[in-house]
Amino acid sequence: MDECYNKKLIQDKLRKLFFLSGYEEIETPLLEYIDVFTGVKASIEQEQMMKLFDSDGRILVLRPDITMPIARIAATKLKTSILPIRISYVGNVYRNQKTQSAKQSEIAQAGIELLGLSEPEADAEIIAIAVQGLINLGLKEFQIDIGQVEFFKGLIAQADMGEEWEEEIRTFIDQKNMLGLELVLKESKISDHLKNTIYDFPKLYGNGEMLKDAAKMSSNPKCENAIENIREVYSILKDFGFERYLTFDLGMVQSFNFYTGIVFRGITSELGYPICGGGRYDRLVNEFGYDIPATGFAIGIKRILMVLERQRGLCDIPAVDVLVAYEKNSRQEAYSLISELRNDGYRTEVFIPSKQNYDYISYAQCKKISKTIFVDSKGFHDTLTFRRGEAHDNNSIS
Amino acid sequence: MITIALAKGRLADEAISLLRKSGIDCAAFDKPSRKLIFLSPSDDMCFILVKPSDVPTYVDHGIADIGIVGKDTLLEEGHSLYELLDLRYAKCKIVIAGFPDKKNSWITHAHTRVATKYPNIARSYFARLGEMVDIIKLNGSVELGPLTGLSDIILDIMESGKTLAENGLVVLEEICDVSARLVVNRVSLKTKSTAIKELIESIAKVLGD
Repeated sequence: MDECYNKKLIQDKLRKLFFLSGYEEIETPLLEYIDVFTGVKASIEQEQMMKLFDSDGRILVLRPDITMPIARIAATKLKTSILPIRISYVGNVYRNQKTQSAKQSEIAQAGIELLGLSEPEADAEIIAIAVQGLINLGLKEFQIDIGQVEFFKGLIAQADMGEEWEEEIRTFIDQKNMLGLELVLKESKISDHLKNTIYDFPKLYGNGEMLKDAAKMSSNPKCENAIENIREVYSILKDFGFERYLTFDLGMVQSFNFYTGIVFRGITSELGYPICGGGRYDRLVNEFGYDIPATGFAIGIKRILMVLERQRGLCDIPAVDVLVAYEKNSRQEAYSLISELRNDGYRTEVFIPSKQNYDYISYAQCKKISKTIFVDSKGFHDTLTFRRGEAHDNNSIS
Repeated sequence: MITIALAKGRLADEAISLLRKSGIDCAAFDKPSRKLIFLSPSDDMCFILVKPSDVPTYVDHGIADIGIVGKDTLLEEGHSLYELLDLRYAKCKIVIAGFPDKKNSWITHAHTRVATKYPNIARSYFARLGEMVDIIKLNGSVELGPLTGLSDIILDIMESGKTLAENGLVVLEEICDVSARLVVNRVSLKTKSTAIKELIESIAKVLGD
């Protein structure tokens, strides 16, 4: 129950932030046809999806993702809406996770999508909302690690060595595996200059200073535009006052077939894996027939719960305000009182006597309800179960 | 504070000696002890000794920021970690081995039985070859597989090749080289980047000599 209360608190805080930022909440179906998620270059493997069959034998899945259904809705129902479209969501996604690192099958997420803008201000907006979200949730410290997949794509295209080789290189860069990179580059026929640039890739992480060094690494137009883009986003976020939360990693190249520009992950030293992530994905909505750019992110709610627990930032469930007990003959008066209290905003619980051997005062003490009212023919009798500040003293009645 | 997970056993000794040479205070290890958690005197480092196959687990969850473990374990356990250094010791090869008469025919029979301590490595290797095989997981003394008739061939690590030779087995195929590697948790590298970078650089310097 504590977990549910805190989870709702997190969801409410994020909902409020998204609402105040001008985003409209949407709900997508829990069950969808598998085609929604198996696009040209699927970023979710089939084995990860929980599948069912409908009565016609077609494959349904429990949604493994909410971004793709939103893209589908944008391309169909929202095609005539003025751009940009700002959508938010709070919901569960379902995945068959392999054994690693405490991954859940039912993953609670909250996120936003900003569709129809390719400007760096759009990327900066969603990162800013992510930062503000983590601040509002009460995280004591966190970092947003930002990358740009086009920088890697530009270099790789220059090498022109084929998909298999590119995938090998990408994996080594993603793992920051210098040895693996060295071996693969040795056997390749690309120029030494390009080899050295690729070899230095995993080292491209750090603060804003690193971006200056990266700019010098390649004169390839794709790379230059990528650096320019990430620097612009950095500068906008600096204006918003978020510089101290930002670090950069141009070697962030996971899911690079899905993302097409800025990517980012939120991390905190309390947890060994990211708490939120997102980026730009300009190709997705077009797969549903509407060619507009898009960017967004999702926050993992269970992970936030874990971090807050470790930072001792979780809330206790607040106790009920008033406990009302009454004599049978005074039931009508008691009920009027109860309704009045509830209308006035007091959380009012009714004591129903049964075969238990404790009275309403003991019950109130046990449940930390600070005030009790007993209703009988003589009227209303108030009792303070305990004085303020004596919450745990089960013996005091005043 | 940085926590380092070390694989228990002889690998631990090599790792500690390397860390010592890199300037890390390993005084905690001087006294022989059955402890599994060691703190450096200045409290800035914590070492935990764990079963080799568990090193990636501790690093993956962030309980250890850094881990030192063999590449064979990393390939088998398959976690998503940063692999920053090849420590160049505990070098061996992952190989397919069997009786000499299998030399040309070890992979042509359907449902060849492969005994191995590394079922995941075996699975992905044979999947890449496009071959269907029966993988039999053993926890040790894998050479017994073909010797007892449990399997046709084995997939195992080989250091000098002596154990194989003594059992009448030969290498049928070399799969890859392995050695001790230094892995880092993906979040730790970013949140403790200065300290970890320094550590990596001192170790790399020692290796470079």
